[in-house]
Parts: sequence; C-alpha cells; structure tokens
Amino acid sequence: MARPANPHAMHSAHSGRTRTAPPLMPDQFPLRGRYRAYTLFDLTGAVYLVMGLVMLRVVWALGSGSHAWQPLREAFASPAWVAFHCFALICVVFVGVRFFRLFPKAQPPRIGPLKPPPGLAIYALLYLVWITVSIAFLLIVGMGLFR
Amino acid sequence: MSSASKKTLVVTRFDPDRDSEPRSQRYEIPVQDDWMVLDALNYIKDEVDGTLAHRWSCRMAVCGSCGMMVNGEPRLTCKDHLRQYGDTVTVAPLANFPVVRDLVIEMDGFMEKLKSVKPWIVRAKELAVEAGPTRQSPEQLEEFKQFSMCINCMLCYSACPVVSNEPEFLGPAAIALGHRYNLDSRDEGARERNQVFRGEGTVFSCSYANECSEVCPKHVDPAAAVNQSKFNAVIDWATSLVLPRGGKE
Repeated sequence: MARPANPHAMHSAHSGRTRTAPPLMPDQFPLRGRYRAYTLFDLTGAVYLVMGLVMLRVVWALGSGSHAWQPLREAFASPAWVAFHCFALICVVFVGVRFFRLFPKAQPPRIGPLKPPPGLAIYALLYLVWITVSIAFLLIVGMGLFR
Repeated sequence: MSSASKKTLVVTRFDPDRDSEPRSQRYEIPVQDDWMVLDALNYIKDEVDGTLAHRWSCRMAVCGSCGMMVNGEPRLTCKDHLRQYGDTVTVAPLANFPVVRDLVIEMDGFMEKLKSVKPWIVRAKELAVEAGPTRQSPEQLEEFKQFSMCINCMLCYSACPVVSNEPEFLGPAAIALGHRYNLDSRDEGARERNQVFRGEGTVFSCSYANECSEVCPKHVDPAAAVNQSKFNAVIDWATSLVLPRGGKE
C-alpha cells in the first residue's frame, strides 16, 4: 500500500465542494523499482557528510603538528577506515556515473549563439576530466608530495 | 484473431458520499489478447459494474485522459497492453493527486500550475495579421519540438517524488511546457516565465530523479526541461542584476 503524500499535493487553490480522498505517493517510492537507484543516490549524501567531517578532522590535525597528525595517519591504516574509504569510493563512482549520464541533457540548447557540443562529446569530456584529475591525485599521493 | 482468457483486476474504488477512504474491489473478467487496460475497465463499466468511474476519451494516446497507476506504475491505460501483466492487475488513480471518485483524480491543481507558466506565445507587441506568418527555420523548431509533444496526461506528476512532498512545486509538465515557449523563436515571454520558475514553485526544488522522463508516454523529456530551466533562470536572474533597469526593454 502506498504511503500518504503531502495532503496538499496537487490540491487546487480553489477547492470544489466534492470531498476528495487524499493523495498517495507512488507505490514504489522510495525503495522499489527505479526509485531505489534515486534513493541510493540521495543516501550517498550521508557518506559525503562523514567524509566532510573527516576532512575537517584531518585539516585540524595537520594544523596541530605531528603529535596530532601521526596518530591520525595510523588510525587511517586500520581495516575499518580502509573499508570506509573503499565504500566512499564506490559511492563517488556511483554518483559520478549517474551525474554524468544525466548531465548532458541538462545543458541549455544554446547560450546566445553558442550551442553545446553533442551529448557524446560532453560524456567524453566529463570522463576525461575525471580520469585526468584522478591520475593527477594518484601521482601526487604516489610521489609522496605530502610526506 | 484474439483469444479469450480471464484476468482479475483489483480496482481502487472511492465514493465520497459513502467511503471514508479508498478501498479495493476485485473483478474477474474475460479478456481478449489484444485488449488494453482501458478495454478491461470499459468492459467492467459496461458489463459488470456501471458505478465504476474512470476518465478516457480518444483511445489513441493523444488526449491524455486515461492515465492511471497500473501495477504501481503511472501508465496511459489506452496504450498499455493487458497481456503484458500477470493474472492479477491492480489499477489505481494517479499517485500524488486528490481522488474525486474511484479512478478519477482532481485536475484543478495541475491546471492552475500550468496556467501560471503561460503556456502560450507571449509577445510584447502583437504582430498585425497583414505582416503575414512568422517564419521559423527547422533548426528553430527542433529546439522546442519534443517539449510540445506533451499531452498533459500528468503521469510525470505521479512519478515525481518532489510533487509528493512539495505542494508548491510547479511540476514536470508545467515546466516543460513553459520551457517549450521559452525556446520558441516567436515568443518574448521568457523573462515572465523565468520569474515564475524562480518563484514559489521553483524549478530548483527538482532533485533530478528523472522519473518524469522515464514514464512519459510521448517520450518528452521533462527532466531535461526542468534542469535546462534552472540554468536559464539563473542566467536571467544574473543578467537582471547587471544590466540597466534589470535588463528590461
């Protein structure tokens, strides 16, 4: 059975005299059918929130000197943190792929006289930038720039 | 040659004079292999239970009247073959809409949203008839053509999770049709519509679930229209800040 929607969903500002049954949400929302991918997409926001907080902690540790930084580095080597970061990577890839799939059609047909490139070119450009930035980060980390 | 078999339709019923809330009623009926879901509903109405209320008109996916939830999915029942479903098929009124009776939803809210985006050509100054037709190149037509295919069937509203939660949201079809006129080379009303798009029912409520485009029976892409409108609304707002007199002529 579908859950109730907001009781004012699609209501008229000038209601008639007929008593109506309140609106219901789509049956499959939020965890079945195509809604599942959308809900998972939104849930990844929680992962980004944790990642943001971790990033703040890292910045704080960096600013506090090696006595704060070293224990944090060691903690990040623990299986729990490695698992979390692997999970976060999966979330980022999932969101990236979904975003890239939907991004081209969100482009306006033209800005003044300028037309966007074909969808395929936008896809290719997005993935090229993503891969390039990822490789750049890997090189920076791999070369030990921050060691 | 079509063959007869039996199917059970579980239909949502609601009589505002008698029922406190919608209920389900089962109908076991003989069906033909070439029937649409609408044919089965019409059979029930004609042969089994004349009290069943549902909307329909053209039977060829043009009028947009017969949208309903079939097995939980928003579908045009005149375009939806009954044979693709199992022995039991559930038919309910479109989600996210108040229900007037049985499978009939209240459309007034949608009509008000639609009217607010001025889905017609707005001109600062009407052209005289003597000036002749306003010419449009195939490229100019192509920019908005797909959005003009919308038949106002409201399936997109039924699929949209934002419509469920934010009553002010203009919704996919209204925005798609407003956007269609914004892209029309003959139109001069984009600024007025963009103000509506940035207003109370803002296009920025859309979280890009893309469900509206998935369920559209006419292959319109309302999600594209909504998200293109976000961009245009921002550009319009930004130019109104930097241009003299807000960019007004």
